[in-house]
Amino acid sequence: MSGIDNFRGGWAATWTRWAGLGGEMRRGGRDAASLLLLAISPSSYRSPYRSEMARQIYLGTAPVLLWFTLLVSLLSLVLIRIVVVTAASYGLSQYALEMVVRVLVLELIPLSAALFVAVRLSLPGFSGVASLHARGEFERLRQRGLDPLRMLVVPRVVGCLFAVPALAVVSGVTALVLAYLVVHGPTPWAFDSYTRRVGHVFSPVVSVVFALKTVGLSLVVALVPFVSALRPRDAGPRRPRAALNPQLRNLVLMFVLILLVELLSLVGNYY
Amino acid sequence: MVLVAFMAVLATASVAYLLYARGFFEPTQKLVLIADDSEGITVGMDVTFSGFPIGRVNRIELGADGNVRIRVEVPKKDARWLRTSSVFTVERGMVGGTKLRAFTGLLDDPPLPDGAERRVLRGDAMAELPTLVSAIKDLLANLQAMTSADSAINASLANVQAVTEKMRGPRGALGAVFGNEADARKVVLLLERTNALLARVDGLALKADSLVGKAERQVFGDQGLVTEARATAVQLGGLLGEARASLRRVDALLVDAQAISGQARVATEDLGALRAEVDASLRKVDHLVNEINRKWPFARDTEIRLP
Repeated sequence: MSGIDNFRGGWAATWTRWAGLGGEMRRGGRDAASLLLLAISPSSYRSPYRSEMARQIYLGTAPVLLWFTLLVSLLSLVLIRIVVVTAASYGLSQYALEMVVRVLVLELIPLSAALFVAVRLSLPGFSGVASLHARGEFERLRQRGLDPLRMLVVPRVVGCLFAVPALAVVSGVTALVLAYLVVHGPTPWAFDSYTRRVGHVFSPVVSVVFALKTVGLSLVVALVPFVSALRPRDAGPRRPRAALNPQLRNLVLMFVLILLVELLSLVGNYY
Repeated sequence: MVLVAFMAVLATASVAYLLYARGFFEPTQKLVLIADDSEGITVGMDVTFSGFPIGRVNRIELGADGNVRIRVEVPKKDARWLRTSSVFTVERGMVGGTKLRAFTGLLDDPPLPDGAERRVLRGDAMAELPTLVSAIKDLLANLQAMTSADSAINASLANVQAVTEKMRGPRGALGAVFGNEADARKVVLLLERTNALLARVDGLALKADSLVGKAERQVFGDQGLVTEARATAVQLGGLLGEARASLRRVDALLVDAQAISGQARVATEDLGALRAEVDASLRKVDHLVNEINRKWPFARDTEIRLP
């Protein structure tokens, strides 16, 4: 009998946890939607929030753009060289360029841009917002008649939202240029055939999936940490899981969602 | 702001480049290739001419007649390579993708019209394989029929063997050819007679030889025909020389005659004038006679008296 009781108890616990998780996700989704709404509403870009918004967009992208592009260029160069040399040794060099474009521009660069922004921007941003929240900065802003969400959170979210596509586009273009230079050398005469191959890879479906994936990754990276930062610390009964480091929780959740977006894009591209 | 503008420009340029790479800005013309198998052909694959891509597969559909219709978009600037006499092939290698190729032999032919439909020829080794296998099968069946125990070739070979065995026998090849000994003997007899005949012919030839020797003496000897004929020829030469001299004299005579006839012509011209003068004189004499007749009393009575 005790075994069955144990079993029932286990079931009940799992169910409660799943139900709790579902509720949490619903709440998170609602918060994310409201943040997104604020991010796209024009009033967030007007004075007095305008300067903060511009500052965050600039701080989110400009300082890391050069570094990230250099890093990706280096990695791309190595990868392109390996792929081209290997393909040539098997006599398959006509497929090397397509493979490079697919692997680098379509898959690796958006993902690495998202991860880079997550580690460099949104997780520190989360810590900053959480500490501001804890210090009562939100209340102070409210007393001054300003919306703390629009002043402190939304500019950071928009900064992250802008940073991911920006980094992806700049490094993607750099990788394409590098691929051209590695494969053909510094001559303009292969431009037509190269363009044709690139066009071959970027079919309409692939292009749409690529755009959706970049947007999805930037949404995940921008929204997940800040949504959890908005959560009041003392809400709800304290479960043992809540004792987990919130930053680590964010990271895990973010990775899971990034993986989901990647999976969906792969399904869209190759099935 | 500058950053946002830069990113917007970069993103727009990237999108524009991709659209350009997809041939979005180029005017195109349509071409429908009809094949009986769409295996390996995908939307977006290139149609090449001399290894250069000149078109892109836009759509593949199954026609009402069960054939595959491959719609190809050819940019206008590349369409000049396609002529009415162009040939299109689909090639499948053992390794690597399928290739659609265009071949144009005569670039002076009229250009391919928009929306033209052309059949695709199959140019792959794999497609020919089933035909090849069936042909090989036929060949093997024939070979089997030829080599079986009761085949015609076997029977022929057995006959050849029997013949060669007969040839090896005492009567040799003749026995094998005639089948019985009597005929073979006749042939041998014939050969012997022929030998005898040949010996006689030999004797005859010897006699003919001596005859020829005599004839030679008669013809070419000291008193032979040829010697006399040579003397006659010499005499004939002398005669001919004389004849030539006579002819020369005749020639001179003819020249004289020609001169005489020339003078005669002149004389006849003078004769004409003379005759005219004689005529005039005669007329005068006539006139004179008439005058005298009229004046003299013994003139004839010319009046006609009526009764």
